[in-house]
Amino acid sequence: MHKIWAVIRREFVERIRTRWFWIGALLGPLLFGVILFLSMQLGQGGVQTIVVVDGTTTPVGERITQQLDRTGSVRAVRIPAGSGVIDSLTTEVRAKRLDGFLVVTDATIDSGNAEYRGSNVFAGKTALQHPVEEALTAVRLERAGVDPRVVARARMPVRLETQKISRGETTQESAEQSFSLAYFMGIILYTAILLYGINVMSSVLEEKTTHIVEVLVSSLRPFELMLGKVLGVGAVSIFQFLIWGVAGRFLLTRRAGPLTPSEVGGSAEVFQVPHVSGATFALFIAYFLGGFLLYSAMFAAVGAMSSTEQEARQAQQPVAWMLVLSFVSMFALLNDPNSALAVTLSLVPFSAPIAMPVRWAAGSLPGYEIGLSLGILVMSIVGVTWIAARIYRVGILMTGKRPNLRELVRWVRTV
Amino acid sequence: MTSPSPTPILTLDRVSKHFAGHTAVDELSLSVPRGVIYGLLGPNGAGKTTTIRMIMNILEPDGGAVEVFGEPDGGRAHSERIGYLPEERGLYRKMRVLDVLVFLGEMKGIDRRRARQQAEGWLERLGLGQWRLRRVDDLSKGMQQKVQFISTVLHDPDLLILDEPFSGLDPVNAQVMKDTVLELRSRGKTILFSTHIMEQAEKLCEQLCIIARGRKLVDGALSDIKRTRSGHHLVIGFDGSLGGAAQVFADKELVSKVDNYGQYAELELAAGADPQQILQRLVTSGARLSKFELQEPSLNKIFIDLVGPEAVRA
Repeated sequence: MHKIWAVIRREFVERIRTRWFWIGALLGPLLFGVILFLSMQLGQGGVQTIVVVDGTTTPVGERITQQLDRTGSVRAVRIPAGSGVIDSLTTEVRAKRLDGFLVVTDATIDSGNAEYRGSNVFAGKTALQHPVEEALTAVRLERAGVDPRVVARARMPVRLETQKISRGETTQESAEQSFSLAYFMGIILYTAILLYGINVMSSVLEEKTTHIVEVLVSSLRPFELMLGKVLGVGAVSIFQFLIWGVAGRFLLTRRAGPLTPSEVGGSAEVFQVPHVSGATFALFIAYFLGGFLLYSAMFAAVGAMSSTEQEARQAQQPVAWMLVLSFVSMFALLNDPNSALAVTLSLVPFSAPIAMPVRWAAGSLPGYEIGLSLGILVMSIVGVTWIAARIYRVGILMTGKRPNLRELVRWVRTV
Repeated sequence: MTSPSPTPILTLDRVSKHFAGHTAVDELSLSVPRGVIYGLLGPNGAGKTTTIRMIMNILEPDGGAVEVFGEPDGGRAHSERIGYLPEERGLYRKMRVLDVLVFLGEMKGIDRRRARQQAEGWLERLGLGQWRLRRVDDLSKGMQQKVQFISTVLHDPDLLILDEPFSGLDPVNAQVMKDTVLELRSRGKTILFSTHIMEQAEKLCEQLCIIARGRKLVDGALSDIKRTRSGHHLVIGFDGSLGGAAQVFADKELVSKVDNYGQYAELELAAGADPQQILQRLVTSGARLSKFELQEPSLNKIFIDLVGPEAVRA
C-alpha cells in the first residue's frame, strides 16, 4: 500500500511540477473562453453591411430598411433601383466592400418574394428573413386599414420564461443554459479523458523504454504499479479541474456583470452561463472518473504493448476513436436526448461517460437509467482493467514488434 | 575468505521457464550460500536474465520453486532486503537525481526520510553530491550509472542481485562497482551476479554456477571446480628452440587438445597420459624449455570446455 502511494505521489508531483501543467491549468479556461466567444460570434455572424435595392413605389423599401437597421446585426442602406445598380453592387460584393444586397419590388408585398444576393447567403438569410417579414406584415396590415398603433400592440413580443422540470424540482435553468451546459460538459469530458488517458499511456511507455519498469516490478506487482499510475494521473486531472473550476467561476462572475442577456443579441443567448447544481456536478465527476478509469486502463495496455512513441501513437487509435465517436454523437444526443440512439449510447460503457452527462444536462432522465448506466460502467471498468492489467504485465517486459491480436489474447490468457 | 554458512540465502529447485517456441530455463537447481560472491555464468542467451527475473518475481516460473531467505515466495516479497540491478538500466530522465533515488528507495520499502539520508550519503561518497538537485538528463552516462548503482544499494540490502553489472561501465565505474561489491561482501552481504566475462568472475566469485541453453553444467565453489579439473592442463614455455614439439603435440596418445602460440603452448592431456613422458620427449627432440607447469585451468578454459566454442561465439 505504501508503495502504491509512492507511485501515486510521484506521478502527481512530477506532473504538476512541469511547466506544461500550469500552462494548461491557466490557459485552459482562457481557451474555453475563446471557444465561447467564437461560438457567439458564429451564432451572431457579426454586423453585415447590406444594400436594399428599392424598386417599390411605396415606402415599403424604406420600412424594410428601418426594420433591418433596428436589429443591430445588419447595417442597411437604401438605394433606388435603376439600370446598372445590380451590376455595380455585384462588383462591390465581389470586392468584399459589401456583404450583399436585397432586391424588393412592389410585387414583394403581395407575393412575399424578394431576392438576396451576397457572399454568405446563409448568414444573409438568417439575418434578413425575420426583419423583412416583420416589415411586410406591418405594411400589409396597415394597407388593410389597421391602425399602426393596433399593429404595434398586436405585435408585442412574447417573453417566454422557460423553466426546466428536472428531477422533480423546477430549476431556474433556461433552455439555452441546458444546451450550453450539455455542450460544455461534453467537450470537457472528451478532452479530459483523452488528454489524461494519453498521459497514462506515455507514463507507461516512459518506464518501459527506460527499462526502469523492471526495477519497479521487482518490488511491487505490475497491477499495483498500473493502479498507482492511473490514480496518480487521475489526481492530477481532478486538481486541474479544481483550478479550472475556481478560475472559471472567477471569470464568469466578472463577465456576468456587464454582459446581460438583453445586450447579447439573438442567437448569442445560446451560450449562457449555466447553472450547475450539486447533482449535476456529482454526475459529471462520477462519469469523468468512470470514463477516465475505463479509458486509462486501455491506454495503459496500449503503452505496455508498444516499444516506441510512434508505435504507441498507432496502437492508441482504436481507443481514441471510441472516444471521438462518443464525442461526435453528442450532437445527435443534443437534438433528441431521449431517442433510442441516445439511450443506447448512454448504456454502452465506452460512450456512456460522455453521452450520459450530456443527456442529463439536456433534459431530465429517469433515475433507473442512470443507475443502470453506472452499473454497466463499473462492471466494464473491472473487466477492462482486468484484461488491461494482464496485457500490461506481459507487455512491459516485451521488446520487439508490437503484438497482433492473437498474441494479445495469449498474453491475457497466460497465468 | 570465510567459509559460507550452511543455510543458503537463495535456492532454486528445478526451476523452468518456457517461452513460445523455446525453453529458456530447464530444471535449473542451485543454491547460493549466505555471505559469498556468487557468479551465474553463461554465454549470451543461456538463460541468466530469465533466471534472475524469476528470482525477482518479474517472471513466474512454469515449474519448480524459488526460495529466498528460506521462504517460498520469491524476491518481490523481500524487496526491502534485496538490491536488484537489471541488465537493461534506466532512470526517469526528467526527474531530479535525489527524487529518483528517494522514489526507488520507497519502492524497495523504506521510508522517505531514510531513503533521502541514504541517497545523500551515497551521492557524496561517489562524488555526485553537487548533482543531487539536477535532472537525470543533465548527468553524463557514467554519472547515471553511478546513480543506478546507488539505487540498488541505498536500502542496505542483505542480498544483491546484479545482472551483468559490469557491462557498459567505463573503467572508472567498473572499479567503483568492484570495490563496492567487495566492501559489501566484507560486511557480510551476499552478492549474486551474472556475467559472460570469465576473467571478472574468476577474480570475484567464490561460488558459481555455469549454465548454457537453460541447463546447469556445473556449480559449486570455484576452488573445487578448478581442483577437480586440474592435472590435465599443461603450460609450456619455449626458450628459442622448439625442437620436435609439433610431433609431440600431435600425438593423440598424450595430448587431447593444444593451444599453440609458438613460444608458448597450453595443452590438455589425453586420458591416462603422463606429463613426465611429454617432458622427456620434448627434451630429447631438442626443444629448449623455459617453463613446464601443470596448472589449474583458468575459469575461461573450464567455461569454454564446458560450453563449447560455438556457444561462446554466439
